[in-house]
Amino acid sequence: MSSRPPDFTRFRVVVCLGPGGVGKTTMSAALAIMSASRGRAVDVMTVDPAPRLLDALGLEGGASEPRPVPLDGLRAAKGKAARLRAMKLDPKGTFDALVARYAPSAAARDAILANRIYRNLSNALAGVGDYMAMEKLLELASDAATDQVVLDTPPAAEALDFLDAPRRLLELLSSRAVTLLGAPAGLLRQFRFVDLAARAVLSAFDRVTGLNLLSDVQAFVQGFEGMYEGFADRARRANALLHASDTAVVMVTTPEAGRIAQARQFLESLGKAELSVKAVIVNRAMAPLPDAREIASAKIPAALKRKLIRNLADFAALKERESRSLDALREAMPAGASLILSRELEHEPRSLADLASIAGRLTAA
Amino acid sequence: MKLSRVFFITGKGGTGKSTVAAALALALSRRRPTTLADLDGRLAAADIVGAALGDSASARVSDSLEVVALSQRAELHSFIKRIVPVSAISERMLRSRTFGYVTAALPGLEAFLLMERLRIMAGEAALQDRHIVIDAPASGTALELLAVASGVKGIAPAGTLNRLAAAVEEFLADQGLFSAVITVTPEELAMREALDTARVLQKMRIEVAGAILNRSPLPLFTDSELRVLDTLGEHRLLAHRRVSEREAADKAREHLERAGIPVFELPMLYRAAIGAREVSALSRKLAAAMIAE
Repeated sequence: MSSRPPDFTRFRVVVCLGPGGVGKTTMSAALAIMSASRGRAVDVMTVDPAPRLLDALGLEGGASEPRPVPLDGLRAAKGKAARLRAMKLDPKGTFDALVARYAPSAAARDAILANRIYRNLSNALAGVGDYMAMEKLLELASDAATDQVVLDTPPAAEALDFLDAPRRLLELLSSRAVTLLGAPAGLLRQFRFVDLAARAVLSAFDRVTGLNLLSDVQAFVQGFEGMYEGFADRARRANALLHASDTAVVMVTTPEAGRIAQARQFLESLGKAELSVKAVIVNRAMAPLPDAREIASAKIPAALKRKLIRNLADFAALKERESRSLDALREAMPAGASLILSRELEHEPRSLADLASIAGRLTAA
Repeated sequence: MKLSRVFFITGKGGTGKSTVAAALALALSRRRPTTLADLDGRLAAADIVGAALGDSASARVSDSLEVVALSQRAELHSFIKRIVPVSAISERMLRSRTFGYVTAALPGLEAFLLMERLRIMAGEAALQDRHIVIDAPASGTALELLAVASGVKGIAPAGTLNRLAAAVEEFLADQGLFSAVITVTPEELAMREALDTARVLQKMRIEVAGAILNRSPLPLFTDSELRVLDTLGEHRLLAHRRVSEREAADKAREHLERAGIPVFELPMLYRAAIGAREVSALSRKLAAAMIAE
């Protein structure tokens, strides 16, 4: 565990992972603003920002492509122009664009886009959002005019949900399955037993649901036949990008005990996936508490002093709770990762200046 | 508060859903047998009441309190076993990588089966005069879960699945059987999310039994006292923080009540650890506020 916070501005890609509700989006925006204010050309992709944050980034109404964020009031490093663009991921639109790119013909593209299974997939199947975030990341990172891409990730129960998404989707589209479901029944003997099981289950579903799922799935996988290689290639490149040495995987959490437990599970999964975590940022950490002796020497009524002492003791208990959580987190820190504290603000971040001050106040724990 | 059979506890991440679910289950279990159902896989609420689940899906905490762990994946497994009666095929299927087709072919199926399971559990609980407290996911995911039955009805316009979906919808709209409890903390974002969640639930005709305003502090300082503290730098800030958290709690209460939602406060516990004793204390507060008859 290293003691100094890494210089996040020097990475080509920064990916913020973590449990839901810990401020991943806020932290992504803060890190992006920090890099931009040091003269880097930065894109930040958010997934599900709170309305205030949307406003702060100028994303009201949604922006599925990067849109410039006016940095008035934020000073860039001397002589360098800051450039920050922000966008909000549109999983469906990204998926449609990917299909359009790899479809062998306009007819094939339209057939897929109209397929019921595809329409369900792109807005309902868990993992599609994750996959599309990766896809968009690849696209943004391939722009030579951009120095850094900061990626916020969808809330996930498991860190690997995100990292695993391309593999899971590819499995679904794999050519072996295509042959299976598209094959005439007479040829089915030569396929593996499990593939027959898939068919059996889908026919059973048809009976229960009154639908024609088997044929829908057939049409769907056949439609993807010509595109599989293109998709697989993108997924490989996205995976390589995540593992690249100039990519920083940053885990965000809060000091609350439940979140720390989740964060520890995330770290374990990331270790298994051989993804090195550069930093764990504990968001909304408490500031150091003032000295009790200041109360004793103050010229105020004794009753008020007692209240101040009680107030201090109350907050000290919370501080102690936090420090126990941080100890639990320290035990799980991977080699080479820094533990960083982000002190809580007095109010929720509302403006670019608030976000900039978050980044400016990161300290090593 | 009117006691429904099933309490579905949701709220913004970090507002104390699991703690509130555990405390409510403890409170109810002093009156009637109660089941605490954990939906999130982390078993946070189960941990809080001290249930040692290990690999099993249920554990008994006391004579009147049991904990069950439910998962969408487990429900899908048992469903497939039911509809594909040849166990050799269903077993192989469950282990195969082509399993993804089933979920892809019918998005929301797993979530729906979980809701169906809750409906059946509620029916049993009604017969046995028991309560069920569900430690549900955070509001966004929870609302998707509650809306899944109507989605399934759209996907499967006829057949067994359609009938089951209609039954789940009926269950959710039955105020005696099902109600939602929203956890909220004295923070702007948590309050906004609670209001949004309540609005969506009301639109879905799901009863909102109340909002639990968790971690509400006592103000401790009066305005005139705060003015005296000007010279005390950081202590002044800490006192202001206490007071402004109280103000945020009052504001949250006001907004929620204006939206027609009963608000029940749980105190902020200034303790270095939240253990069994603290949760038991919270459960007594809840019992006094919510379920006094």
